[in-house]
Amino acid sequence: MNETDGRDATPYTGLVVVELADDLAGEQAGKQLAELGADVIKVETPEGSRSRRTGPFAKDVVGVDTSLTFWTYNAGKRSVILDGSDSGRAALRALIAKADVLLATLRPSELAEAGLDYQQLLETHPRLIVLSVTPFGLEGPWADYRTSDLVGLAAGGPLMSCGYDDHSIPPIRPGGNQGYQTAASFAHCGLLLALIERQQTGVGQLVDVSMHCSLAVSGELANPYWFYPKVLVQRQTSRHAQPEMTQPALFRCADDRWIYFALILAEQKPWEALVEWMDSLGLAVDLTDAEYSNLTHRQQNFHHVQDLIEVFFLLMDSAAAYHEGQRRGLPIGPVQAPEDLFDDPHLAARNFFAPVSGDEGVTALVPTSPFRFSSFDVPSPRRAPRLGEDTAEILADLGEAQHRGIPG
Amino acid sequence: MEVGPVSTDEGSGAVLSGDRTERGATGSPRIGSGLDYVPPRSWMPSEGDGMRADPMVDDGNRRPRGRRGPLSGIRVADFCWMGVGSVATRMLADFGAEVIKIENRARLDTPRRLPIYKDDPRSYGAEDPNPDPNKGGLFNNYCRNKLGVTINMRSPQGRELVEKLIGKSSVVTENFAPGVMERWGLTYERVQELSPEAIYAHMSGFGQTGPYSSYRSYGPIVQAVSGLTFISGLPDREPSGWGFSYMDNQAAYYNSAALLMAIMQRNATGKGAQIDVSAVEAGISLLGPDLLDVAVNSRPTRRPGFPPGNRLEYPRAAPHGVYPCAGEDRWVAIAVFDDTDWERLVDIMGGPAWTSDPRFGSQQNRFDNQDVLDAHLSEWTRSREPHEVMHLLQRGGVCAGAVQDARDLNEVDPQVAHYDLFFELDHPVIGPARFEGNPIRFSRIEQDNWRSAPLLGEDNSYVFTEILGLSDDEVRELAAVGAI
Repeated sequence: MNETDGRDATPYTGLVVVELADDLAGEQAGKQLAELGADVIKVETPEGSRSRRTGPFAKDVVGVDTSLTFWTYNAGKRSVILDGSDSGRAALRALIAKADVLLATLRPSELAEAGLDYQQLLETHPRLIVLSVTPFGLEGPWADYRTSDLVGLAAGGPLMSCGYDDHSIPPIRPGGNQGYQTAASFAHCGLLLALIERQQTGVGQLVDVSMHCSLAVSGELANPYWFYPKVLVQRQTSRHAQPEMTQPALFRCADDRWIYFALILAEQKPWEALVEWMDSLGLAVDLTDAEYSNLTHRQQNFHHVQDLIEVFFLLMDSAAAYHEGQRRGLPIGPVQAPEDLFDDPHLAARNFFAPVSGDEGVTALVPTSPFRFSSFDVPSPRRAPRLGEDTAEILADLGEAQHRGIPG
Repeated sequence: MEVGPVSTDEGSGAVLSGDRTERGATGSPRIGSGLDYVPPRSWMPSEGDGMRADPMVDDGNRRPRGRRGPLSGIRVADFCWMGVGSVATRMLADFGAEVIKIENRARLDTPRRLPIYKDDPRSYGAEDPNPDPNKGGLFNNYCRNKLGVTINMRSPQGRELVEKLIGKSSVVTENFAPGVMERWGLTYERVQELSPEAIYAHMSGFGQTGPYSSYRSYGPIVQAVSGLTFISGLPDREPSGWGFSYMDNQAAYYNSAALLMAIMQRNATGKGAQIDVSAVEAGISLLGPDLLDVAVNSRPTRRPGFPPGNRLEYPRAAPHGVYPCAGEDRWVAIAVFDDTDWERLVDIMGGPAWTSDPRFGSQQNRFDNQDVLDAHLSEWTRSREPHEVMHLLQRGGVCAGAVQDARDLNEVDPQVAHYDLFFELDHPVIGPARFEGNPIRFSRIEQDNWRSAPLLGEDNSYVFTEILGLSDDEVRELAAVGAI
C-alpha cells in the first residue's frame, strides 16, 4: 500500500483510518490522508455511499463504480461493505480496535442510531483519535440540523459575501463544494494536532469539527468589519465584499475571456507601470498628463480611468494581458476554465497533473497532492475503490487479528 | 542545550506515565512510524533557554509566558505577512508554538495598514497615508498569540540578528515572492547550518519553481488562475466568483497542515524538511468533480448553462436555491434532494394547491421545472424571516439555512455561541476586541489565547535579550543603527 522509492516514508505511512463518511467533508478529509499514504478503510453499506450515486459519471455510464464525484473525494482509499447486522457491527468494532483514527460524519441522532458512543470508544481504545466532521458540531441547539454545501455556506456566512453587484440577484454559491472543503481542511489540521499530542502522551482524543463553525471563521473581512467598525460588507461581482461598492475588477478581453485586475489608485508604482504599458500601445490617451501623478486627480477622474482601462484590455487577448501585465509587475490573472489548466506550461513544468487509470477503460490526468516536501515524495495518485472491492481482504486481515487476540 | 521534558506541567507528566502503562498493555509500538510516543528532542527548548514553562495564567502584563498545547516548545522564526502566511502560522501560535513574527518597520504588513478600525467605518481603500500600525483590526485577528519583533533585513546587523534567531528556532516560515529569502542568503542549506533540524516552509501563489513562479498573486488572482472563479456564477454571464480571498484562507489551512505534518514527521525521525505549497495548486485540487468531468469525459466547462448558479445538477436537487425573505437583502437557502424531502416541505407549507401540479410530481419533474417551482417557493418565503424558515424546515427534516451575515453570526447564531467560537482579548491601543477562534473542539487540547496581536516591535527586548542573549546595550546599539 505504501511503497516509497528510497526516500523517507510519508507522514501518514502506517496510519490506519476507518472512515464512516457519507458527506463530502468527511470524504475529502479521508482523501487527503489517503493521498499522503494513510490506509483509509472506507466502510460502506451494501448500496454504497451517497456520493457513488452522484454524477457526473465516467463516460456517462451510471453505476456505483463510475461516479466522478465519488472518484474525486475517495481516491486512494480501500472499500469494505459492512451491513447493520450483528456481524457487520462486530466487524466495525474490530476495525476500530485496530485503527489509529475513526473518521465519521454522523450527527448525534445518527450516532445513537448506529449504536456508537465516542466516549466509550475512547475509554476502550485510549490511543484512538475520533475525528468527527459534522454539519454543525456534536453539541449545541443545531447539532442535528442537516446541511448541504449551499446550506452550509449560507448559514456559515461566506455565501452572503458572494454574488453580483445587482442585489436583486440572490447571493450565489461559488462552485466546487467549498463549504465541505473548508470543513475538510480544519479536519485535517485538527487531526494533525491530535496526532502530535498523541506522540507526546500516547493518548488519543475526540476531535469535534463543525462545518458551520469552520465557515463562520473563514469569511476573511466580514467578521473583522463587524468586530471593529460594526459594519456589514456588501457582495460585489467577483471581488471583495466591502462596506461600500467599489469599481469592477473583471475586464473582458479580445478573445472573449475575462481577466481579474484590481487597480489600487493609491499605489504609485502599479499606476505608473499600467500607464507606461498603455502608452506603449498608444492607448494611454491623457493618462500620461502630469496631473495624473497626483492621487486626488486620479480619484476625481476615476470613471474616465476605468473606461480607458476597459478599452485597453478589450483590444488584447487574455493571455497577453496576463503575461505582459505580470512581466510589468502588475497582479493580473486570467479567469481560467478547468479545461485550460491541462495546457498550462507552469503546471506542466511542476508535474502537477499525473495520470490515473480508473474503470470504464479510463486514464485521466488528475491533480497530484498540492503538498511538496523535501523529505518525502508524494505518492502517485491512485484510483478510488470499487464498492466493496477490499471487503474480503479487510475481513481476512481482521480474522487474523482477532486470532492474535486484538479485542473486538 | 539541556534536554528536558516538553512541559513541566503536572497534568502532562501524569499523562505521560499513564501512557507508558497503556502502551505496555496494548502491544508493541510501531518503530519509526511517527504515530507513537516520541521522547523530547534537542530542538525543543527547555527552561533557561528563554522559554518559561510557567506560570500559565495571563497576569495581564503582556510578557511572553510558557505556552500550553501540543506545539509548546516549538519556536518559529516567522517571516510571513499579508493573509496566507499570517493565517497559516496563526494555527501554530494558537496551539502553543512560540511564533515570532519578524516585521519591517519600513514596509508595514498590509493588515496593519488596512483601515478596519474600531468605531471608524471606512472602506478597504480608504487607508491613512501614515497609519497607526497598532490600530488595524485585521492584523489583531491574524496575529494574536504571536510575538512581534522588527528587523531591518537591508542592514548587515539585521541579517546577522535574523540568523541568530533562526539558530534558536526549529521552524522558519515565509510567503514572500520566491527568491527574496535567498537574496538574504537564507537558502535551505544556510537555514540547516543555523538550525540542523529546521522545517523551512515556503508559501507562495505559484510555487518555488516553474516559469510563472515570480508572478504576483493574491487571493482573487489565485482564484481566477486556478479555475475557482470560472466555475462560480450564473450561466451565460460574467462569473460572480468569490467575494473574499477564499484562497488566502484555504492556502493558509493547507500550509498549516503542511507545517503540522512536517512537525509530526520530525518528531518521529529527527529530520526537518523544506516545504513548497503553491496556492494555485491547492486551488486546483479544490475544483472537485467539474475538473474530472473535463479530464475523463472531455466535457468542457465553457458550455451553455454552466456554471449553474445556485442550482445543483449532481445530484438533481430541486428546489435548490436561495430564496427571498422579509427584510432588505435577506435570504434563505433551501435544498430538496428527494421525494421524502419534498413531501416534508409540502407538509410544512401546509400543502398549498400549487404543490400538487404534476410538473412537481417527481424529483426529475421538479428539476426540469425549476423556474416556476422557484417562483412559487419564493412567494412562500418572501413574507417570512430567514431564521423562521430555517427552523421550520430543519425541524421538519428539510435542509435549509438562513443566509447569515456577520451580525447574525455574532449576535443571533446560538450554535456559534454554544461553541464560544468568537473570543475576546484586550489590546493596548484597540481595547477589548473579538477574535475568530478555532472551529475544532478537542477533548484534550485547548486553544491557548495568551495575548492579542503584538504592537510593532513589542517583543524586541524580550526576544533579543532573553532568547538571543544580547545585552540591553547591544539592543540599543542595533536600534541606533536602524537594524531593528
